[in-house]
Amino acid sequence: MSSSRFEAFLGLSIELTAFSRFDLLGTGLAERYLATLDKVVGGEITDALLAAFIALPPPEDVARIQAVRTTILGHELLGDVTRALIKLWYSGTWFELPSAWTERFGRRAADATFVVSPDAYIEGLLWKAIGAHPAGAKAPGFGSWAFPPKIPALPDLDSKT
Amino acid sequence: MYSYSIRTLDELKEFLYQAMRLEHATIPPYLTALYSIKPGVNQDATQVLRVIVVEEMLHLTIAANILNAIGGTPDLTRPDFAVDYPASLPDGETDFKVGIQAFGREALATFLKIERPAQRPIHLVGKGLIHRKTSPHTTALGNDPRHEDLHFYSIGEFYSTIAEGIKYLEAEAHRVGTTIFTGDRSRQITSEYYYSGGGELFAVTDLKSALEAIELIIEQGEGDGGGIYDDNEHELAHYYRFDELVKGRYYQKGDQPGHPTGPQLQVDWEGAYPIKANLKVVDIDIKEGSELREAATAFNKRYGEFLQLLTRAYNGQPSLLLEAVPIMFEFRNMIFELVRNPLPNHPGKNGSPTYEIPGSTKQAAITRQAEVSA
Repeated sequence: MSSSRFEAFLGLSIELTAFSRFDLLGTGLAERYLATLDKVVGGEITDALLAAFIALPPPEDVARIQAVRTTILGHELLGDVTRALIKLWYSGTWFELPSAWTERFGRRAADATFVVSPDAYIEGLLWKAIGAHPAGAKAPGFGSWAFPPKIPALPDLDSKT
Repeated sequence: MYSYSIRTLDELKEFLYQAMRLEHATIPPYLTALYSIKPGVNQDATQVLRVIVVEEMLHLTIAANILNAIGGTPDLTRPDFAVDYPASLPDGETDFKVGIQAFGREALATFLKIERPAQRPIHLVGKGLIHRKTSPHTTALGNDPRHEDLHFYSIGEFYSTIAEGIKYLEAEAHRVGTTIFTGDRSRQITSEYYYSGGGELFAVTDLKSALEAIELIIEQGEGDGGGIYDDNEHELAHYYRFDELVKGRYYQKGDQPGHPTGPQLQVDWEGAYPIKANLKVVDIDIKEGSELREAATAFNKRYGEFLQLLTRAYNGQPSLLLEAVPIMFEFRNMIFELVRNPLPNHPGKNGSPTYEIPGSTKQAAITRQAEVSA
């Protein structure tokens, strides 16, 4: 796996999840998720997605958000794959692509709903986003329910809206 | 010959403060090694480290109980309380460095030295303390607080000296119709405040309970009188739990030290994140690693708050220990994130908690230097 390909995947994931690079690497699953994408939709589509990300206008450009919508999320081939990737980061689960996508581009052998690994469930970003812990894991400790949850501050989105 | 006996109550208080400092110093290395283990591997090692780190926290609290029993004031916020890693611990006639590192063979070799049984070899029996100059840049533990270059042979010997001091001072007090156990009973931490204990936590109120408390610390660490179990044949001593991991085999009842004959166990020596040993915040590239640096700093700040909370708990508010529990679980999550992030400009190495507590020795040293140059 080339490191620039991984870097592009990480950059794309930061943009899609609104979590920081540190948070994403902190799950210990970034490489695993890129491999999941490669396995399920194949290297070609993954590369197309990464290329679309690299081709975006620079981060400070107001056109960037618009471009994310049109060339990635609104793209016929890449949109559903991207949404599955967001769900993967948040839940640790790959959700089977919609039937419209499958009918148009063909069914992929590995495309089924599955949890990537036990720790993928535990490290799902959704838990961090809501200030909760995954049921059955990362217990917050005896008596902790007596204290208010810790909900992380929202990332600064002002410059991009 | 220099007498290392404890002869005054103030000396005893300082020894007990040093005992708390020593017990605490083992927690960051064990905690980091525990959380450096990758998910899904090394379940035996995880279990061993988890049990031992909880017992070290118990020892810290026991030492606080003894100090409170004689009217002392436990203070985990003193500038020298949290040590600068790697720190030096006694290993017989030499010393060794205990540091922050990933789980692996090297870490286990260090842990075995920490918990090593106390027995002196024949030629050193009755020879007093070991004279050894510690580098001015290294924190030495297990030495005589009155003479920093005089070291005990082992941690067990350090505690025996405390036990002898307690006996002596209490006998002296008795002679004049009083006692050294004048501490406020309500400051004692008992099991009701101590969740998932790692052992029973009892109040220290007199000579008997004080000596029992010291025995418990020694036996959990190194076993009872050279045996592999503690006094009730109930629990394997720390030293032999680590030895099981090194030898890849469990001990069972009747085994001789060094020769476990129980079932085999698996250790994946590569199953830990490759953290950079004894990382300091200043080593994290300020630009490339800004988020990692921020997270390491946030961890240190939180750890400092934890030590403040423990100090209040040990000074008459034992129920605050319940608030400390979720903080320890927070540490787990924070450490997981630190050890999974690559360290910029150190290819193949990951981040780590640094345990540089705001306001501790290192900062104090920097301030002193600034004053000198000003």
